[in-house]
Amino acid sequence: MHPILLVARRDYLAYVGAWGFWISLITAPLLIALVIFAPVLLARAEPPRVIAILAERAEDAALVRGAFLGRAREDARTEIEAYLSATAPAVRDEALAAFDAAEDRARGIEAARQIVQQRAPRALQAFPIPSPRYLIVDPPAQDIEALRPYLMRVQALPNGQELYGVVRIRREAEAPVIEYWSVNLSHEEPSQITRLAMRLAMRREALAAQGLDPLEADRLEEFNPRVVHFDPRPSATGAGEVTLRQRAPFYAALALSFILWSVVFSTANMLLTGVIEEKSNKILDTILTSVTPLEILIGKLLGVAAVSATLFLFWGLIGGSLLSAAVAQSGETFVGQIAAAFLEPRLLAAFGIGFLAGYLMYGAIFLALGSLCESIQEAQTLLGPVALVLALPMMLIAPALDNPNAPLIEMASWFPLFTPFLLLVRAPAGLDWIEIAGMGGLMLVALAIVLMLATRVFHAGVVDQVSVAGLRARLSKKD
Amino acid sequence: MEAALEAEGLAKRYGARQAVSDLSFKAPKGSIYGVLGPNGAGKSSTLRMLVGVLKPSAGHISMLGGSVTRSVLKRVGYLPEERGLYRNMSARAAIAYLARLKGMPASKAYKRADALLEAHGLGKVRRKKIKTFSKGMAQKVQVLAAIAHEPDLIIFDEPFSGLDPVNQRTLEDTIRAEAAAGRTVIFSTHIMEHAERLCDRILLIAGGKRAFEGTVNEALALAPSVAILETDGSFDLAATLAPKGFRIAYEREEHGAKRWRAELEGRDGSRRLLAACVEAGAPLSLFEPARASLHEAFVALVGAQAAGEQR
Repeated sequence: MHPILLVARRDYLAYVGAWGFWISLITAPLLIALVIFAPVLLARAEPPRVIAILAERAEDAALVRGAFLGRAREDARTEIEAYLSATAPAVRDEALAAFDAAEDRARGIEAARQIVQQRAPRALQAFPIPSPRYLIVDPPAQDIEALRPYLMRVQALPNGQELYGVVRIRREAEAPVIEYWSVNLSHEEPSQITRLAMRLAMRREALAAQGLDPLEADRLEEFNPRVVHFDPRPSATGAGEVTLRQRAPFYAALALSFILWSVVFSTANMLLTGVIEEKSNKILDTILTSVTPLEILIGKLLGVAAVSATLFLFWGLIGGSLLSAAVAQSGETFVGQIAAAFLEPRLLAAFGIGFLAGYLMYGAIFLALGSLCESIQEAQTLLGPVALVLALPMMLIAPALDNPNAPLIEMASWFPLFTPFLLLVRAPAGLDWIEIAGMGGLMLVALAIVLMLATRVFHAGVVDQVSVAGLRARLSKKD
Repeated sequence: MEAALEAEGLAKRYGARQAVSDLSFKAPKGSIYGVLGPNGAGKSSTLRMLVGVLKPSAGHISMLGGSVTRSVLKRVGYLPEERGLYRNMSARAAIAYLARLKGMPASKAYKRADALLEAHGLGKVRRKKIKTFSKGMAQKVQVLAAIAHEPDLIIFDEPFSGLDPVNQRTLEDTIRAEAAAGRTVIFSTHIMEHAERLCDRILLIAGGKRAFEGTVNEALALAPSVAILETDGSFDLAATLAPKGFRIAYEREEHGAKRWRAELEGRDGSRRLLAACVEAGAPLSLFEPARASLHEAFVALVGAQAAGEQR
């Protein structure tokens, strides 16, 4: 076996033989699932927030109470709609019609549930039982000073609940003024719901003052134009109307870009810690008579690449199976279309190329840095600037989703260290072949330069025991 | 004399510092060859150049009948001064891995690893991870790893450092056994006693330069002979014999007797000194000509300051 392959094999077996590898192999998908579902589960687990309404006029209090109930009904409808879109799109409209026809929220949920039970019983198992986010109660006192102990959680309500906030509506020269009292300073939703309700009240009052029917304000509120997005490019499918099918690749690209970034960073980190460990254990001098520094560098890159390939194979099999199942089960639903976007060959090819280039570039850089350090602590001082460079494409990924062809994103994607990540994000927006070839070529040139420089630094680090301080002098002169 | 290794005009410069300059020597095939010198003399740089880890700034190396190429280096076993092994590997796997890097087939490498570990008393722990070994055991594994691929030339850099006296003796036996099997062993040390006991030829380096190259006996012949004397009472031996050209230094007083150290010159130096003592009526209680050590030879060659870190 060639020494490069022996080095690669040893490194591969060392990583795969460690407990940490198997733990991360298994826990990573669980953690991703947790990140996706935790906010939903937490939101569901949270008890309703108790709000009291204190108003000078009884009709204002009733209007705001109605607005909160309306919001709760709307939230329940949205949740049922999302669930049925993903699981039983065929019965969605019928179930929502039954929900809308019901008198109140609870009856609406039950009516929708009945439809699902009759028409799509398989979807009943995880049918949502949404709980309202807010619970409106009568205020335990009639002025803010008396309510202060409740708001500060010093005193509980008579039923034992804690008061989350108080909406106080007073009138100044007939115009309503909304005060929202709560210790949760960053949460503004209750005041927004109240504002919209009181805006409707003000419109009703204005219409009545003009001698018109105040309920016209409610009718005007319902006007909501239909918005259709179109893609003007000749390559656009159908009549060019943009639907979820067209948008899904952007979301998939964003997710894949985050995954690519995390994998590149963590595998490059593996290389860094590996070489530091070998340096501190004084192993390198022993193998240098058998393997050249370049061969060690290539062997290590190959070994960790094989570790990544194992991870991808495992995760790919699980993820691919789940996504394929999602496409087969619910092809036209939100889930089905997002899943199909992940399986898009062009996107997967961009991911593969991005990983290869990103891993080789950052891996070589991290290996070179590791060769100059005797400890992780020492490496951390060097990693600061590199981590900053790695963090920059992450900062650009979110804006790239908003406008993948923004000048800043376009320029940044030509910078070879960012290309692997931004090329992936820009891919669904459609790239010219010239652009792809140009960025690819530049990336290859950069890769060659990085590998060449990394080899020199690695050589200096492992053979001549050059430290960080001596690096600059070393690079400035010919060996 | 067929040379297993020959260096000519070898030099190495690190920036402004000249670590090794114009170093030439030959290690005969099948011999035990010592590279001696104080810490920082340039021994490790020299050995690292020999095994191709460092590129010489100047000079030429001929090894096992040819230039230092990859195929020639496969026939060389090297134990560096800065040494270590993969702590999570078993002793068996570590030895086999390094032998395989030298080109030995996998099955043969594992068999050889097992045999070596068994022969050196580590058979029972061959599958244990190196991180569970004592420092001495780990060092033994490193030595075995350096010779596992049955090299024609073995180069050890400070192999005795960090070993207890028992393991030092064991290593000396290993070196002798390898040489007896027809292999050439080159090792560096700053402890002269090992070289005196083991080496057929030695190279003394000071300040990166060759101070001496030859047999141990040739080196010892360069050292001045000395004699230890003791006189009773207050007799001043140094002052009495100084007019006759003898260089005698007072060392200390022990149990009422004065101890002196005299430098001897020429083959009959001790006889002439003894005659002079008798003639002067010196009350001698001890007269003991002493054999010069390699250290004294080294001091004589390079001066006390350059050899200051010896012993």
